[in-house]
Amino acid sequence: MRIVVTGATGYIGTRLMCLALKHNHHVTVVSRRQPASYPVDWIPWEMSSRAIELPAETDAVVHLAAKTAMSHEWSDQTEVMAARVLTEAAQKVRSKFIFVSSQTARPNAPTSYGRTKWRIEQDVLAAGGWVVRPGLVYGAHARGLFGTLVDIVGNAPILPAFVPAPKVQPIHVDDLAEGLLRIVEGSDSSCHTYALAAPKPVSFTYFLHEIASSRLRCRRMFLPVPTQLIMVLSRALERLRMPQWGIERLRSLFDLPVMETASDLNRLGIFLRPLCSGMHLSGSVRRRRVLQEGWALLTYVLRKPPGSAVLRRYVRMIDQLRDGEALGLPELLLRYPALLSLIGDSAWGDTAAQAEFSWRMDAATLLGEATPAGGDRFLGLGRDHGMFGRLYLVVKAVACEVIWRGLGTIGLPLVRVMLDRARAAL
Amino acid sequence: MTRDCDVIVIGSGPAGVSAAFPLTESGLQVLMIDRGKLPDVEPPESDFLSARRHDTGQWKWMVGRDFQAMKMRDAVSPKLRVPSLAYSFDGFGSGNKIKGENFITVGSLATGGLSNAWGCGVARFSSAELAEFPCSVSDMEHSYEVVSRRIGISGNTYDDLSEYFGLDGYAQSPIPMDLLHTQLAQRYSNKRIKLHSQGFRLGRSRVAALSEDISTRKACNLSGNCLWGCRRRSLYSAADDLPRLRQYENFSELPGFLVDGVTRGSRVWRVEGQDIYGVRRSIGAKVLILAAGTLATTRLVLRALKYEHAVPVLSSPTAAFLLWLPSLFATQRLPGFGLGQLSFVLALSTATAFGSTFSTTGIPVSEFARHLPWRRRYGIDILRGLLGACVVGNLFLPGHLTAGEARLNKDGALVVSGTFREAVVPLMKEAAQKLRQSYRRLGALLLPGSFTVGLPGGDVHYAGTVPMRTQPRIGESSPLGEIAGLEGVHVVDGACLPILSEKPHTLTIMANADRIGRKVAELQGRGVC
Repeated sequence: MRIVVTGATGYIGTRLMCLALKHNHHVTVVSRRQPASYPVDWIPWEMSSRAIELPAETDAVVHLAAKTAMSHEWSDQTEVMAARVLTEAAQKVRSKFIFVSSQTARPNAPTSYGRTKWRIEQDVLAAGGWVVRPGLVYGAHARGLFGTLVDIVGNAPILPAFVPAPKVQPIHVDDLAEGLLRIVEGSDSSCHTYALAAPKPVSFTYFLHEIASSRLRCRRMFLPVPTQLIMVLSRALERLRMPQWGIERLRSLFDLPVMETASDLNRLGIFLRPLCSGMHLSGSVRRRRVLQEGWALLTYVLRKPPGSAVLRRYVRMIDQLRDGEALGLPELLLRYPALLSLIGDSAWGDTAAQAEFSWRMDAATLLGEATPAGGDRFLGLGRDHGMFGRLYLVVKAVACEVIWRGLGTIGLPLVRVMLDRARAAL
Repeated sequence: MTRDCDVIVIGSGPAGVSAAFPLTESGLQVLMIDRGKLPDVEPPESDFLSARRHDTGQWKWMVGRDFQAMKMRDAVSPKLRVPSLAYSFDGFGSGNKIKGENFITVGSLATGGLSNAWGCGVARFSSAELAEFPCSVSDMEHSYEVVSRRIGISGNTYDDLSEYFGLDGYAQSPIPMDLLHTQLAQRYSNKRIKLHSQGFRLGRSRVAALSEDISTRKACNLSGNCLWGCRRRSLYSAADDLPRLRQYENFSELPGFLVDGVTRGSRVWRVEGQDIYGVRRSIGAKVLILAAGTLATTRLVLRALKYEHAVPVLSSPTAAFLLWLPSLFATQRLPGFGLGQLSFVLALSTATAFGSTFSTTGIPVSEFARHLPWRRRYGIDILRGLLGACVVGNLFLPGHLTAGEARLNKDGALVVSGTFREAVVPLMKEAAQKLRQSYRRLGALLLPGSFTVGLPGGDVHYAGTVPMRTQPRIGESSPLGEIAGLEGVHVVDGACLPILSEKPHTLTIMANADRIGRKVAELQGRGVC
């Protein structure tokens, strides 16, 4: 298919362009600057342009270009007009027109951003186009609003936890690109407004926390800040006609309507990746989970943290011989591997999980043993224990075994719940 | 139909090379065919303990680049997990179409066959055992000597098992024992009269490992790499005999050829199969020597005979156990010989058991840890504390105690099944108890729970599927291993043994192959000098 993309150099545009090229579509980029290093056609275009000629054989136009902080010279009206110009051009070549709007789009939205989007939506729908309202777009190389949030979380040691917490519905940028491409490729002839985002909203504070823990791997303190305070401040600034410094953006955040997205996701047949997965640069938490598991098991076996080479070997082994997925051990056990001694055979609800755990424990034992550190740990090479040293070793091992067995038995119900929960969370 | 050579030997394992020597020496045109898999993992460069301390690449030979050790996690023998031995077992079942039903089937498509991975235990069958063979005892004795001298055997010492092994006449001096075995042997010399009365006799293991150099093969230097691959080639593998065979102009090889059937042409036998490029070929010879390994040979025979009934399979029930020597509690791990150091013979109520004990040093601790029902961290702790003073032992019962059978299924695959006979349970119980008592007198404790009985077929000593008989019926073979109904097709591997005692049987297979090789050469009008 021949797809025209506006805003193709932006956050969503780049990912959409890559995905479309991967699907062997022909992509024409409509933008101010020529995109570098992509095998695409280019039509130079300014948002303020009054007319544009699209290639005659265009199948779909995806309109992503929007006013950003960088392009404040345009008024909201420019954006509305630009959309009209594009819609008309698309109609002229009998092409589908898909406008990527915003969750904030409403006639009575608190921000002009939301109101403008709503106006464009009306025009597009009237002209027989499609509208897509994405939730909070995140993931991959952080750009757009997500880029700003990642910067803030990275730089600020303390973050606001707004009370009451606003709810957001995230969507990974690649999942959104997938959804857009499905609409492009789809034979759905009736125009429609699609809401694409996680069906279940999460609190904004949780979203920031995920950026810290999964994306940046840092810990952040959260300070409760009343939402009301921000609203008052914003209104005051507005009344005083002072610059808003992004506070306006926060107001639209507090005012997000919850979108019903499940039916649209279903209609397009796309599954959204979980937030913790999408937060990784690779878009997947899988490898990291297996690494964490390998680190814990090898540390448990070797009694000291493993080297990176043996850890990578563990991940490769799980990739090659198993399903490449982590077992799903509780966070607590991953962080404090000594606690793995709590897990006895009876701790596992089902025999398959128990068998897999023992397979992986064997794998870690063998990989750990087959290292110079393992030679020391398993064979006691390089040091002479002497009679008493050895006796101490043996007595201690017996005592520890008895104690941990006891703890494992006493804590069995708790351990079981922990294991079940951790696996269910996968 | 043309004849490509006088004799085709199928298989390059111990039986194949042993038959090939006299046939080649007699001047016959001999062609050896085998699948010819070759080693692809480098064994350790230094001795085992140094390698374990310093070799950052040790995982390549302990676990394998393709994680062989974990791929084969559920295999019974640690050998099947060793990456450098993987080539010797790889593809055997699928290549030869052999399946086990509750029966372990192991075989080899490698040059040198299973002798690349064997325990090197050797013994001569006694006159009583040889009486079951339909041939003259003196012929067998001559062949024992020829083969023993060729492959190199060590362990020559006068002890309580000298007569049992019957090999001291041709053996090199023993390889030095480690501290633990030295102590066991010393204590035994003080208690032997009492132990004899209990039916327990102990002596040096006789093994096909060198204590003196033989041509390019070097004497054991106690590197402890027996399991992982010996760079000095101290342990005998039939692959080491091939360079000597290649010196004869009338000996040739066709490696990379996987045989799947033998058919009778006019005046010649034809061997059918696929060459290394997957192209079907057929080669003709007047005489065929089947030495593909008991199971693979059995399949070829049954297919050629179109035999639909089951044939018996002899296989020794096995057990393994762990002994702890408390008085050597503080012993450091020291390098040493990794195969059998001391062997025992145990008289049981209705059978004799044979076994050997090994150092635990060259075996991964993981192999023990995974069977120890402890929390893994403390399991490793306790093994580190105890294993240095432990030796691991194995035990074999005579092969008739497994009720095994093999038959062709409709697809032409050989299905092997079998269970232990009822007598095995009480015998194993008796063996465990007697071993416990005997070793206690030697200052060694048989660790509770460590005596483990193996699974049927786990010994990999398969034999007797087409046994030699004076008057062979269909499904049996003549005293020359010639299959009744297939004149000119001789079986020389374990398949033609009429009995399987508790002793290591490889040397007997080799001696028998040598004997048949000689006789066949004579029948072809070429005597061997």
